[in-house]
Amino acid sequence: MEVQKEAQRIMTLSVWKMYHSRMQRGGLRLHRSLQLSLVMRSARELYLSAKVEAHEPEVSLQPARSPDPRLHPPREAEAEAEAAPLDGEQPSPEPMDTQEAPRAEEAPARGAPRPAKVSRKRRSSSLSDGGDVGLVPSKKARLEEEEEKEGASSEVPDRLQPSPAQAEGAFPNLARVLQRRFSGLLNCNPAAPPTAPPACEAKPACRPADSMLNVLVRTVVAF
Amino acid sequence: MFPKFSLRSMFHGAGGGNDIQWCFSQVKGAVDDDVAEADIISTVEFNHSGELLATGDKGGRVVIFQQEQENKIQSHSRGEYNVYSTFQSHEPEFDYLKSLEIEEKINKIRWLPQKNAAQFLLSTNDKTIKLWKISERDKRPEGYNLKEEDGRYRDPTTVTTLRVPVFRPMDLMVEASPRRIFANAHTYHINSISINSDYETYLSADDLRINLWHLEITDRSFNIVDIKPANMEELTEVITAAEFHPNSCNTFVYSSSKGTIRLCDMRASALCDRHSKLFEEPEDPSNRSFFSEIISSISDVKFSHSGRYMMTRDYLSVKIWDLNMENRPVETYQVHEYLRSKLCSLYENDCIFDKFECCWNGCDSVVMTGSYNNFFRMFDRNTKRDITLEASRENNKPRTVLKPRKVCASGKRKKDEISVDSLDFNKKILHTAWHPKENIIAVATTNNLYIFQDKVN
Repeated sequence: MEVQKEAQRIMTLSVWKMYHSRMQRGGLRLHRSLQLSLVMRSARELYLSAKVEAHEPEVSLQPARSPDPRLHPPREAEAEAEAAPLDGEQPSPEPMDTQEAPRAEEAPARGAPRPAKVSRKRRSSSLSDGGDVGLVPSKKARLEEEEEKEGASSEVPDRLQPSPAQAEGAFPNLARVLQRRFSGLLNCNPAAPPTAPPACEAKPACRPADSMLNVLVRTVVAF
Repeated sequence: MFPKFSLRSMFHGAGGGNDIQWCFSQVKGAVDDDVAEADIISTVEFNHSGELLATGDKGGRVVIFQQEQENKIQSHSRGEYNVYSTFQSHEPEFDYLKSLEIEEKINKIRWLPQKNAAQFLLSTNDKTIKLWKISERDKRPEGYNLKEEDGRYRDPTTVTTLRVPVFRPMDLMVEASPRRIFANAHTYHINSISINSDYETYLSADDLRINLWHLEITDRSFNIVDIKPANMEELTEVITAAEFHPNSCNTFVYSSSKGTIRLCDMRASALCDRHSKLFEEPEDPSNRSFFSEIISSISDVKFSHSGRYMMTRDYLSVKIWDLNMENRPVETYQVHEYLRSKLCSLYENDCIFDKFECCWNGCDSVVMTGSYNNFFRMFDRNTKRDITLEASRENNKPRTVLKPRKVCASGKRKKDEISVDSLDFNKKILHTAWHPKENIIAVATTNNLYIFQDKVN
């Protein structure tokens, strides 16, 4: 469990760093991006292997649980948008299993707006915002991602198949959301404009073939 | 006078261990703690004689210090380094095609050997390399017939006699002028430049490619290494550093993010994608961790002056390789092994991505590299002793002998030891340089340059 949490924390941290590196002067650094993707991959492998070990007790909780893990990464993305420090506010001190009460208690304590509660409101404006609102999970978001399948790697279903069912509940959503968000970035050359509208990101074919961060795609979707 | 001192100290096994006592000499840069980002030093390099010391900073500026020629018989120290020239080498640029801002930060400076009165150096940012000529002017012509001294033209009808203009001494003026600009050859960010021993060509390396230039020709360069995969999804490693062999003009090495070094021979083929030698040490399984891959990335590679060895720096260690042995280094020195258990925190605060450089002393007996808390480390290859010193303004009285520092990894902390948790990871020494002939070192903290030298009796 600890291993899972740690792995998840590191994955989310890595995503934050990758996103943040876009903002830096001088553009994306290929070496840094590669290193971050390596860490993400290691974390993913660690997470999945830890998940496999803890497989049985969690299967029955999966339906109730599935909305919850999606909240964690977006919350972290929100924290990033607010320039929250990278310390104790990292994801999921909350356990993966269903515990309604503690989560509700923690929500106001956290301070950051809960995406699930405000997602309806923000959905309408989410496309016009830059930043991380693409990470807001919602049913509508999932539909959008399915429509944009042309941007998705065909590896998505393949990689997810062997994973345990409960892993489907957490990371595929994160993967799809991240992929939608980052597909434009990943298919750009080092100079993806930070303010690229999402429409561009949905059509990676427009971009030059120099998709230096596609390694990231493979890592991300493999969640 | 200088040769006598330096020969003696070198003869006595100029070591970083207990053989040498390092003394504070000078510190350059602002005193206040509020560091302007533009003043952050990004590269340090002595020229071939050691008389000049160049620094580059994040603001694109180059500052060159010159050593005073010491004439006093009873000098207790070698000449001081004073500012010789300051110029703006690179400006921030904007690539409109890619909507990419190009930082003006100077990534590397390399001096050319001196061929005439002027000095030449190459400086590079992420995309453009420039050849600078630094020349002195200490005379000016006076006594023109048609011009006044202030430059105004005289009415020719008022000229009644003629005189021959003569050169008269003037205050020394050091001029820096860009002689060549080598641009538009790198898609990715330049990490290294290295001048060939033929003194006619040099290489520049970015994340995926290495180009060969002629110093006189700016409109074309030859690509000699290209590791970009056809499908970028298959990218697994990047080039992190490259250097020409000091004696063999056909040989160069480049290091990778996977911890390997490839030696290439330009005689073998035009495109040196296939290495002549591959230097790689198998990973110690007991050290395998989450962050193993990224800490094995080599941040610097330097040939020894002799050309027999090369040194590599990864995040935790310095390794010396014999060019004749590819399967493992001949020497490994742990720089700050106590950080191995802190890698997760170092990942969080981005310190794990710091790129430390390393350098040899003039006779290849000692190597030096930086660490955190403004510590720097020296390893004596002969005595196998090592020492940790600190660059700090607290010890800034001239000829103050630096006290060795010690980091307590765990357990009971002894007096004068510093615990790992007390280390300041914002104070890092990434760039160091060693005088090619004497025991003088230049150590760059964030925005200060410290000069230390060995104690001269």
